[in-house]
Amino acid sequence: MSDWTVKTREAGEGTSVVYVNGYLNSLLGKEMERVIHDVLDAGRPRVVLNFEGTRLINSIGISSIIGVVERMTERQGTLAFCSLNRINQELLRITGVSRYVRAFDSEEEALSYFEQSV
Amino acid sequence: MRLLWSQGVELSFRPGEFFGREEELTSLLRVCLEGKSGIGASVLIYGPPNIGKSSLLLKLKSELKLLPESEAPPSPFPFYYSFSNILSHPLALSQHFLQEYLWQLLVFLGESPPAAFDLDALCESLTARGHTECRDFLSAHRRYSEKGDGLSALANAFSFPFATGGNLLYPVFLFDDFQYTIKLQNIPEGAIFSILRPYIKSGHFPMIVSGSSPGHVTSSLKREGLYGSFQLLEVGGLSPDASVRAWAPLFDRRKIRMPEHLMVRAAARLGHVPIYQRMFAEEVSFRNAQIEDEVAFENLFALSITEGKLNRYWREFFENAIPDRVNRARAIKFLKRVMFDQFPIDTFEGAFSLLGTSPEEGGEILSALEFKGLLKSDFEHIQFIRDPVLSDFLFWAFERGVLGKNTSQVAASIVQAKISSGLVEGDRETHEESAEGAKEMMRRWDCREVPALLFDFGKFQERFREKGLLEIVIGLEEDARKVRLPKISSVSTGYRTLRGGSRFAFDLVAYGFRDGDFSEENLVIWAVDVNTEKTLTQSAVEHFENRCRLLSLEKGLNPDQLQKWILFDGAADPVIVELSDRYGIHLTHRTQMRFFLNLFGMQELEKGQEEKRPQETRAGEKPLEFELVLPIKADTEVVAARVAEEVAAYAALDKDTVDRIKMAIIEACINAFEHSESETGKVRLRYILSPERIELFVQDEGKGFRPSSAGDESKRNRGWGLKLIGELVDDVDITTGEQGTTVRMVKNLRHGTDEGSTTPDDEG
Repeated sequence: MSDWTVKTREAGEGTSVVYVNGYLNSLLGKEMERVIHDVLDAGRPRVVLNFEGTRLINSIGISSIIGVVERMTERQGTLAFCSLNRINQELLRITGVSRYVRAFDSEEEALSYFEQSV
Repeated sequence: MRLLWSQGVELSFRPGEFFGREEELTSLLRVCLEGKSGIGASVLIYGPPNIGKSSLLLKLKSELKLLPESEAPPSPFPFYYSFSNILSHPLALSQHFLQEYLWQLLVFLGESPPAAFDLDALCESLTARGHTECRDFLSAHRRYSEKGDGLSALANAFSFPFATGGNLLYPVFLFDDFQYTIKLQNIPEGAIFSILRPYIKSGHFPMIVSGSSPGHVTSSLKREGLYGSFQLLEVGGLSPDASVRAWAPLFDRRKIRMPEHLMVRAAARLGHVPIYQRMFAEEVSFRNAQIEDEVAFENLFALSITEGKLNRYWREFFENAIPDRVNRARAIKFLKRVMFDQFPIDTFEGAFSLLGTSPEEGGEILSALEFKGLLKSDFEHIQFIRDPVLSDFLFWAFERGVLGKNTSQVAASIVQAKISSGLVEGDRETHEESAEGAKEMMRRWDCREVPALLFDFGKFQERFREKGLLEIVIGLEEDARKVRLPKISSVSTGYRTLRGGSRFAFDLVAYGFRDGDFSEENLVIWAVDVNTEKTLTQSAVEHFENRCRLLSLEKGLNPDQLQKWILFDGAADPVIVELSDRYGIHLTHRTQMRFFLNLFGMQELEKGQEEKRPQETRAGEKPLEFELVLPIKADTEVVAARVAEEVAAYAALDKDTVDRIKMAIIEACINAFEHSESETGKVRLRYILSPERIELFVQDEGKGFRPSSAGDESKRNRGWGLKLIGELVDDVDITTGEQGTTVRMVKNLRHGTDEGSTTPDDEG
């Protein structure tokens, strides 16, 4: 699916925004994990995962998100979520992921949170 | 190539393409002719890069050559010399200057142009004509060169012209790109003026000096006490008249046609700058484009500024001007803020703070920009050039480089900003309301067939004008032609026309797949605008069509993959209806929107009513049952979710409940795909809808599985499926055996639909 993609943008010193567009399933989940590993390997420890374009997240997608959270913790990076729709927020709450990662309404808020905590 | 350095500029100059600047030419000619009587002044011409300063000098040269010979001698010999391509070494400059002067003088005297720059041969030819002083100058120059004495060699070369000519001619100096003389190695800034000073002061040798860095040149003049001898002449864009006339030869030669009213607009859009006009004409010819209307023009302009010739022109300019990448990015960001956002800056301090650099670093950047003529400074103030094309280029560079947007996005915003300024901001609320209504309808039309007539406002009006509602509904029902709407997978609304806003600013974009086939070839995009103006105007249609073209371009869509649709509220002129038809835009009037709703047995949505629609099923009614068979194939669970959504639409459930049902069914399907190992390769689904509840059954024919044995789900972090289902619906039970597994999920609709489901996450 051409519109299921993971894209990255650099948003200042050491900070990247990763956009997950489409249906976060096994395939997209793996891609998301790969992209985030690359971002960390490039020495960019702060990541905002932007879910604005994420229409659905299934349980395998949740597993990928948890993989990302673990990897970020290992590498002592900082992770934030933004632009989650209601159902996706709910899924992260049910699975307990939201206890570990801060979620913001918008990308700007997430980025300014990073700026303040640097 | 080196032999043609200066000649290159001259050769590319076409007197026939020179327009306007009559006043400047007249006064420059007067200055040149007054040299004869020893009262000649000198002129400093300045202006932004490529505005036409060189063309002005070259035009002046050709005018001087065309003067009638009846005048008594001495006659003016126009000597054009550009400093732009000369090596910064003074010896190289002096040598080249001598060659050029001798060459041009011989040609002026009527010799056929010598084939090469053999200095001795040139000198011999001149001596043969009685100018014997040449030999002495040359041998002196050779001596200085051998000693490596750059300054003396320069003084020698630059004094030579004044010794030639005698009573027959007097040189008129047309010095171009003079700012480069400040970059000569080991030669103090202004040295050339020191050498020329006595001749300038004499009034016999008119000197027209042109450059893009007047700050430097004027400070040299001041140091040499020459400032008073110079008149300053600023060169900007052409007059509107002249620049419109300038199109004719550009277009004729390339066989381009453009409506007359567009020529005026196009010239203005390009800031009346001749070089932009030439590049634009080249762009049209290169792309074989048809410029028939404003939209086509804006489109091509945006294309040129984001990836075409205008873009390359400024990109190369900045790469040359500031080779260091970091500084270049700073400069572009800075200029974008000053020129595009019109940040008021006129002091060095202000500029440094906006640049975010130290005064040293910032000074370097500003001086590079000044050298290239983008700003002009005196000791305290700085002033920036105004250039609409540069301004748009900076917008592109900023959006692309800093914000990482792709070129089509930027092109779209440039076009939008120029074309769509007419949309009224005040009507936003009504606009949003209609968009919301349309969005809801798009969702409901998924996979349904709709009479084609409803899309074709022209035919609709022709057939049903002034008839009553009932009649029209009957008429539509009799209409045999149907359009099968593609399966819509995603609907999003976009807002709106401000620069840097949403991507294409359609009110609604829907993605769907024909025949339920999730492949690239079957992708169909619906682009929808809702027009709430009193009349549907031509510009609204053109603007819409224009964005559609950009969207097609970006997504690489075939014409049948983009469905264009305008829903409008007021009236539409027949011309507009016809125009839309020509563009293949579906028009639907608000009165027709009602029919859609009637057709589907729905009520028209009022603002805010969407979530509180009365349920249409009543207690005691027979439950509705739907079935679906899914192949076990990656991602087909999405289809199951879509069907669940459609079924839920019958009960007019709120969005949160629908989302929960969708997620539950997705998880149940994934479980079935993963665990069943079914030989039939199929999963059966049943949806049973009653007023009280929705029941979902997911059944596979595999070997069964034990939900309690979480250890089997050994993959890391997995095993969320059943937990999620349990949380998302009110009741789950699983029957598993050798015949397969059935997961039954129940979501109650009468009570508890809002419990917990809509409370936002209260995690800190």
